[in-house]
Amino acid sequence: MIYQIVGVIIGIFGIIISIFRFKERKTSLGMLFIWIIIWLIIIIVSLLPEATSILANMLQIGRGLDLILILGLIGCYYLLFKIYTMIENLENEITQLVRETALKNEKKSDQIKEGEEIK
Amino acid sequence: MNSSKTIYVIVPAYNEEKTIHAVLNSLIKRRYNIIVVDDGSSDQTFNIASKIQSENELYLYKHAINLGLGAALKTGLEAAIKKGADIVVTFDADEQHNPDDIKEICKPILHGSAEAVIGYRNFNHMPLPQRMGNLIMNALTRIFYRSNVKDSQSGLRAFSRKAAKVININLRGYGVSSEIIREIKINNIKMEEVPIKTIYTDYSLSKGTNTKEGLRIFSKMLLDIIKKV
Repeated sequence: MIYQIVGVIIGIFGIIISIFRFKERKTSLGMLFIWIIIWLIIIIVSLLPEATSILANMLQIGRGLDLILILGLIGCYYLLFKIYTMIENLENEITQLVRETALKNEKKSDQIKEGEEIK
Repeated sequence: MNSSKTIYVIVPAYNEEKTIHAVLNSLIKRRYNIIVVDDGSSDQTFNIASKIQSENELYLYKHAINLGLGAALKTGLEAAIKKGADIVVTFDADEQHNPDDIKEICKPILHGSAEAVIGYRNFNHMPLPQRMGNLIMNALTRIFYRSNVKDSQSGLRAFSRKAAKVININLRGYGVSSEIIREIKINNIKMEEVPIKTIYTDYSLSKGTNTKEGLRIFSKMLLDIIKKV
């Protein structure tokens, strides 16, 4: 099935990106762990869609809808992943910006004393 | 302290208007070089520090917004290295540390037996809620960073210039304490642990890790994890 291959490829791709980001120290160990689990679940569900039939039966979802749901969920997870990495990058950038501004705008006691002497 | 080595004390402060004055004065009295990093306080912390600065030598930095303890320490470390510090000390602004302990935690570095020193508090003297919180954080540090230390959350630490340069802080918030322990471990920095006194005033207890604050920090940590997933 095509969706199985697509799911596995996206899952592997996600794991590679997660590890890559961890190696670049952009994410923490805990986050890497959780993301790998999520991507692994996607891979497993893709490879063994039968595993989801128990849940599908419970929820009384027909097979036709399964495909759309699975594809939709994979797509949503991927988008969420992208958005969170974007937010994280933004957070890091803001932190760097604020810190560098603070370091540049150091308030020195010497400067004040000199200023007072000039007066 | 009589030594050719220059010691810089970093004081990260976020909304500490009640204690910052006393803390800074106690450090000024002991003639340390002081670096204050105001982490976007919404109270009078920065103004009080500026006022003290107009009469004393003091380096003052201000984050435009509140970033968290980790970011404040990083700014302080960077500033201290730039100023040519031989030893960098981190010191909490909530009056819980005894300024006389600075001398003690610098000793291993001055004697060349360590590059990083963590001051550990006596958990037996700690009120139960604080003790629980700190024991849990020690356990988490052990599990995630495989580093067994007596007090992973201690705010009183000393680093040699070499160690301060190597330690790379990435976390913005309270997780930084454990991150520093990890950095010490993965960079093979020689570390020693020195006992320190902790002063439990009503204020420092209300600011520190009491049950309510502990739960708040814990839920914040959980939220942080959920947020970051």
